[in-house]
Amino acid sequence: MTLIGVWVVELGLFVLVVAALLAERPIALGATVAAIGIVAVVARSSARVWRWVTTSFLTHRTGALAGAAVLALVLPFFLRASPYWTFIATMALMYVTIGQGLNFQMGTAGVINLAGAAFAGLGGYTVGLLTVRLGFPPWLGLLIGPLIAVAVGALLFIPILKVRGHYLALVTIAFGFIFNILMNNLEFTGGPQGIKNIPTLRLFGYAFTTPPQLLGMTLPSHANFYYAALVMAALVTWLAWRLYNSWVGLTLNTLRDDEIAAKCSGVSVARYKLLAFSIGNFFIGLGGAFYAVMVGFVSPPDFDFGYSLVMVSVIILGGLDSIPGIILGACLLIPLPERFRFLHEYRLLLYGAAIVLMLLFRPRGLWPATVRRYGLREPAASFGAAGGLR
Amino acid sequence: MLEVRGVSTRYGQISMLRNVSVTLREGEIACLLGPNGAGKTTLIRTILGIVHPVEGSVVFRGERIDSLKTNQIVKRGIGVVPEGRRIFPKMTAEENLRMGAFAEWGTSEVAGRLEQIFDRFPRLRERRRQIAATMSGGEQAMLAIGRALMGRPKLLLLDEPSLGLSPLLVEQIFEMIQAINRQGTTVFLVEQNARKTLALAHHGYLLQKGEIVGAGTAAELGESDIVRHAYLRA
Ligand SMILES: Nc1ncnc2c1ncn2[C@@H]1O[C@H](COP(=O)(O)OP(=O)(O)OP(=O)(O)O)[C@@H](O)[C@H]1O
Ligand SMILES: [Mg+2]
Repeated sequence: MTLIGVWVVELGLFVLVVAALLAERPIALGATVAAIGIVAVVARSSARVWRWVTTSFLTHRTGALAGAAVLALVLPFFLRASPYWTFIATMALMYVTIGQGLNFQMGTAGVINLAGAAFAGLGGYTVGLLTVRLGFPPWLGLLIGPLIAVAVGALLFIPILKVRGHYLALVTIAFGFIFNILMNNLEFTGGPQGIKNIPTLRLFGYAFTTPPQLLGMTLPSHANFYYAALVMAALVTWLAWRLYNSWVGLTLNTLRDDEIAAKCSGVSVARYKLLAFSIGNFFIGLGGAFYAVMVGFVSPPDFDFGYSLVMVSVIILGGLDSIPGIILGACLLIPLPERFRFLHEYRLLLYGAAIVLMLLFRPRGLWPATVRRYGLREPAASFGAAGGLR
Repeated sequence: MLEVRGVSTRYGQISMLRNVSVTLREGEIACLLGPNGAGKTTLIRTILGIVHPVEGSVVFRGERIDSLKTNQIVKRGIGVVPEGRRIFPKMTAEENLRMGAFAEWGTSEVAGRLEQIFDRFPRLRERRRQIAATMSGGEQAMLAIGRALMGRPKLLLLDEPSLGLSPLLVEQIFEMIQAINRQGTTVFLVEQNARKTLALAHHGYLLQKGEIVGAGTAAELGESDIVRHAYLRA
């Protein structure tokens, strides 16, 4: 397949996704969903077709990425009639950011963190406190919020260091609940009401609440945040990709695989676990801080345990330790319950089912991690091809 | 090169090693024999700082290392093939090897060393991008040895590297250990196969129930009653 072919495939998928999002009548929705299902089944049923498509994408990597970037940039134009879907798309990008962070901890380094929502909350509440109580500009909050998440995470890390596996899961769950109880009861965080009226982001005098005029079209004001989230998710993903493919990523993988063997190779287990935990909390905190700026208020239920589970579902669905997988996971799992409103009430059930089904049938996720390439020219072989375990 | 002086260790309340002393001379192959549960692995773990002694000291090239952390100890030039090999199961063969040279990350050294290991173990070159857990037992044994060598250790500790391998492969591994030693690496080998091991080693120690009950040159040890009765069935 040529590069044009790759772009045609991307465009086709894009059209299907936009149609599925915007279809109003049940028949139209049913038709688009059926079309997506048929495409998926056809692509996966024949190993040859699938190989053909994936190798084409791999050989035209840069072109495929550029195509995807263009489509991501034009998406708000297609969603312009619906501020709601623009908002959901922004949320998906926020979850990409958070997912990359959580994946660094759980997927790459094997450090379980079931308090993702609390670390996001630390970022969000920091923004709220700094802007509303102290009058800082929101962009400064966006920078400091993640740092607070990192700092608190480092403190929590001291008791975590000696704990492993299930106990680690319990410690982080406990931390999540403690965070929520504190936010509910502390005076200066606004108690159950939280912090309202966080001022909106302004860049060079441009307020993010004004609907942008682009190419002669007026987009909903949410599009501002969509583009900001796109930049944030792209930067974080790029950074995660660079780290993952460097010796840092490899060293963190050894912690996941065998701590004693890692020590025997000269790795300081404590130091690198702390590093993984901190990198992760930075991204998670950034996502939370962004959320606070976008919606303009923070309150305890925005960061309760359910959202920690959503974050874990995203990375398990996409593929632990797989950076492209995280993007896929977030873009599937966040819009889905919004699209099917009847699912909304059973959202957590859906996420739970997704985790169980994935662990049973595709433990490595929808888009499993691939082998690092070390500057070799050949395209990365899939773990599946190598008979891998991941 | 390495001196273990009067070391005692305990796991909780249970005392394991009692007053164990071992001296490894530069350039030799020394071996450690002993029945299951004698404490051989415990001694290796003590040298590596995974277990810390409650008494005694461990001195490596003139420096006390018994209170250092494992990662600091291996950086001083000790390589290890741990009991059960402990390769990184979800990582590729090449990634496993690269981790062996962790201290040299980012230097041009690593690529050269990788090539040398591949020359020594051509099978690993073929399988460099295979996930380690899917490799055969023999390949995993080579991988574990290769990983230990990537750090260019001055002292190589091997804890039953031939466990579970066919006689032919055991033979190969032993030849390899000899070759590694000839190139200047001091070797401390823990093995169950007393006859083969004593044929290879210069010096040997016999550990039983946490105590050294025999020591000497390999020839002396092979002649001693205790070894002959317990291991050689002669
Ligand atoms: N972490 C631990 N906690 C408690 N006891 C332990 C621990 N590790 C080892 N032991 C005990 O210490 C004793 C010696 O164990 P060690 O592994 O050193 O024996 P070994 O000589 O290497 O035996 P083998 O030849 O079977 O490998 C055993 O009885 C074992 O059960
Ligand atoms: Mg042992």
